[in-house]
Parts: sequence; structure tokens; C-alpha cells
Amino acid sequence: MAIALRDLAACFEGVIPSIVATAAPDGTPNISYLSHVVLVDDVHIALSNQFFSKTAANVRVNPNAAVLIVDPRDGTQYQLDTSYERSLDAGELFEEMAGQLRASSAQIGMAQVMRLRSADIYRVNGVHAIASPSPAVMAAPAKAVPLTTIAGIAQRVSEAADLGAVVDAILSGFDHAMLLLKEGERLVTIGTRGYERSGIGSEVAIGEGVIGTAAAEQRPVRVSDLSRIRRFGSAVEASSNEENRTRTIPLPGMAEAMSQIALPMVAQGKLKGVLFLESRDRLAFSKDDETAFALLAAQAAAILTLSEGEAAEAQTPSPSAAALPSAGGRPFRVVHYSYDDSVFIDNEYVIKGVAGRLLMYLLRTHLREGRTDFTNREIRLANELRLPEIKDNLETRLLLLRRRLEEKVAPIRLVRTGRGRIRLDLARPPSLEEATAD
Amino acid sequence: MSIDEELAAFMASPVMIILGSCDGQSKPEIGRAMGALAHAADNRIDLMVSAWQWPRMVANVRAGARLAATFARPSDYVSYQVKGHATVATATDDHAAAAAHYIERITATLGGLGLDRHLVAPWLVSRDLVVLCLSVEEIFIQTPGTKAGQRIERR
Repeated sequence: MAIALRDLAACFEGVIPSIVATAAPDGTPNISYLSHVVLVDDVHIALSNQFFSKTAANVRVNPNAAVLIVDPRDGTQYQLDTSYERSLDAGELFEEMAGQLRASSAQIGMAQVMRLRSADIYRVNGVHAIASPSPAVMAAPAKAVPLTTIAGIAQRVSEAADLGAVVDAILSGFDHAMLLLKEGERLVTIGTRGYERSGIGSEVAIGEGVIGTAAAEQRPVRVSDLSRIRRFGSAVEASSNEENRTRTIPLPGMAEAMSQIALPMVAQGKLKGVLFLESRDRLAFSKDDETAFALLAAQAAAILTLSEGEAAEAQTPSPSAAALPSAGGRPFRVVHYSYDDSVFIDNEYVIKGVAGRLLMYLLRTHLREGRTDFTNREIRLANELRLPEIKDNLETRLLLLRRRLEEKVAPIRLVRTGRGRIRLDLARPPSLEEATAD
Repeated sequence: MSIDEELAAFMASPVMIILGSCDGQSKPEIGRAMGALAHAADNRIDLMVSAWQWPRMVANVRAGARLAATFARPSDYVSYQVKGHATVATATDDHAAAAAHYIERITATLGGLGLDRHLVAPWLVSRDLVVLCLSVEEIFIQTPGTKAGQRIERR
């Protein structure tokens, strides 16, 4: 064929809806829009079949189908003359299409409606460009991020000494990025870059939106044009008052984002978190970018797992048995609500859950024993923390707590003093209060 | 019963119109129409098509092929598909004016959805305009969802 399918990769990004025409044996045509067309190889494409559609019924009798695809960069139209070959309802290709469909349809509230029934495979017998009065701009293929750039990020990740540095190293490679780590059935934002608010501590349910779908499916989810999709979180105007009321930190986001990609971070077969990137440009992330970023996400997951393990192994005993001189000045008020372990400092919401419990443990121990140095080991063994559930990611929670305290400019700081060791820095003396009701 | 007022109004609004037909070898073809004029009394729809851009579509209809036309509203995907026999007619000044008006309105509609004028221009062509006169035999709801493909009426 004169035009190679591979040169039309941009047409398969799902930006401009494709069209399919089929015909029943009696010659009655059917014409319909398609939600997803996927480039399978040099001579095959896959069409999504969500409903028991007329298209699917027609091609099982008359396999001929015409598919119109559009280049989202210049609007050029191409007609593919194809013949239906077979239908897949399982396997890698099916799962990839189903995941993409779930992610994009969840955003427009049609997740149930748009369930993929099968991925239908068609052989492409010919490709021709549709005549256009506009000058034919055969745009260059979308530029992928150079591998040397990816290698540079990978090296910074390898050299990072602790969990916080690993998170920052990954994010340093991108303009607008978030890193979320898995905590139970949720993902918690542990680092962000390029947003007005850091959103540290904000949460996404696994399975929710682009980020949650990537986590649930453990496969990358890429959206190349958000202009017609309601964007998650963008309408939520973040404010401190809102946080204090809801005890929920809003996810940061770009209202004007056009492209998004979420990459699961998996190590030893287990989901560790999600790396999420976005851009104001349409088609900002190509399929090749996705592949390169997926490698980075896998590397980061492995190193995060490693740094958790190392911090856990540190056996250093607590170095400061002797009481340090206490900080002076007006005490600051720390209120703990036991029902959700939320903690407010001078009436500002800081954190809840296990990280909230950790903060209270550190403060109580400090008031009781006068010391400010702690080891991960003793925290793990502390009965009052009810820790079994946090055994695997104590470092993550400490990092979350540390960053959230920094962001809130709280009079408490957590300082990492060595592998598996932390220090509580208090600007003024704390005064603890237990609240029983909201 | 024929095309009702509501459907006629929908067809006349700025919606995308895509066409399907097939040749003697059962090979389907795709095309786009530049607006539609619904004649409710005759149960007929005039679809303005560029014979320059979609020569095979026009040739199929000239050879007696049946025609399918899907009308889809870009903002919410509300869609209807109409099928029936069709003939090719010469475009009158009214047809040409309607096509020009359609291109103007759909360009603005798509622009409101973030699609630039230069991007949509290749889909909105009126060179060598002809009219495909579609006698409506079947109407289907095509909006994505459980009702997709449901027949509204058959004559």
C-alpha cells in the first residue's frame, strides 16, 4: 500500500472519532462512529465493540468494512478498506483496550455503558487519503522524549539516597507530575511538581479516574485530548477552609490539561503507586513515551521498595536517652480526633489516618520522655500505633507526614537524621488535646 | 408517520452527518454530508455532498445503492441513523446556500468544543456539490447506550 499504516499512528490516538461503514448481505449499509480504533501491527487494526452493534453483526456475515480515521494534527482523513478477521474477548490487546475505554468513559460518567464486549480484529487491505482542498501537511510523527533524557532521570533515581529523594528525582524530569503511593485501597499523593498547590496527602481511590484506573488495571492509561471530557478535580477550588471542614486534601490538577498519562509503579508483582503526568498540549505523550515512562515507573517502584526495606533493617538504637532542652515560647495546640485520627495544629487540618496516629505517638512520647530522636524500629514495635497494617510502608507515611508538616508551615518538623532514624524539631512546646466529638 | 418535527429540527441543527453505502461487490464506502434539508411531507431528506471529495459514495448511489446517514450532535453524542433508497440530484442555489450555512454553523460548534478551524476544514468541503435524496425507510436511535440500534419506525 502507498500509505503505510504505521505512518498514521497519530490517527489512532482517539482524539478525533473514527467512523466505520459496513453492509448487510442485502446491501443495506450501516454507518457509525467508533470510540476506539487501535493499531495492532502493519496490516491489522482493532475496533472496540461495546454493544451488540449492527456493525459487529454485519461483518460476521459480510466481512468488508470501511474505516475513516483522522489525523488530529491537520484534520487529514484516510479511508481504510478492511476485512473483519476475528473477535477477542480476552488477552493482552483486549485488556489494554478495555482499560483505555474504562478510563475515558469513567470521566464522562459512562463507565457502565461503555463496557467493552470484544476487540474486533480487521485486516487492512488498502489505505487512501481523502481529497482535501487544504494543503496536505503530512505532519511529522509525534516526537518522543529522547532516550537520553529518560536515562538521565533514571540515573538521578538510582543515585537518590532515601524515599523522599527518589520521589523528587522522578518528578524532576517532568513539568507537571504527581507521584502517588498505595495505602490500602487508596493512593496518596507523596510528591508533585509544577502545580500551584502541592496537594501532598491528597487521595485517589483505586479504580477512580485515569490515576485510579492505571492502579486497578496495573497498566498505563493515556488520554491524548481532554477538551471534550470533564476533567477530574479541576473545578474544586482548593482552600484551607475547605480542607479544615472536609479533612480532605484536594488533588492538584491543571484545569487546562489536554493530555494525561498514568503509569502504574509495580515491583515484585505488587502495585506500589502511580506516576501521573499531564500537559497543556494535545497529543503530548506518544505510545513510545508511554513505553519509556513505564520503564522509569518500574525502576522507581523497585527502588522505593528497596529503600523501605533498608529503612526497616536499620537497627540503630535511639541515641538520645537524655532529655534535650525543651523549646520555649507559647505552646501550640494539637487536637487529635480519635475516630479518624485526624490532627489539627492551631486549628489547621494537617493529616489523618495512620500518619495522624504516628504524629500523635511522636508527640506523646516526646512529652512523656523528653526525647526528640526516634528510630523506625521502635515505631514499628510501639503497641499504641496498632501497626501491623503499616509494616510495609512506614517510610512512606513518615515522608507524607514530613512533607505535609512542611507545607502547612507547622511548628513541628520531622528531620531524617540517618537511615531509619528521625528527629522531631519543635519550634515551641506542644499542648495535646483529645477531642471525642467532631 | 414520517420524520417528526423534532427529528427534522435535529437534522437541521449543526450536527455531524456521516454517510454509508456499498458498491456491487458489497464493499462499503464512507462520506460526509454538508447539511440536510428534511422534507417531512415527502418523508425525504436532501443531503448535500461534495462529489469531488466523495466520488465513490456518489457513484454508489447513482448505481442504485441504498444509503445510511447518521446525524450526531458533537456536544453530547446524541445520534440518529436513517436508512433508505436514494437518488442523485443536481444541487440548486437553495442547496448551495444551505450547505454554506451548515459549514459556517458546524465550524462554530466544533470551534466551541476546542477544534480549530484549520483542523475541521478538510471535513467540511462543498466543491462540486450534488444532492443525495434519501427516502426515509428506517430510523434508529444511535446515541451510545442501551438504546443504541433501536428502531424508531419502519415504513
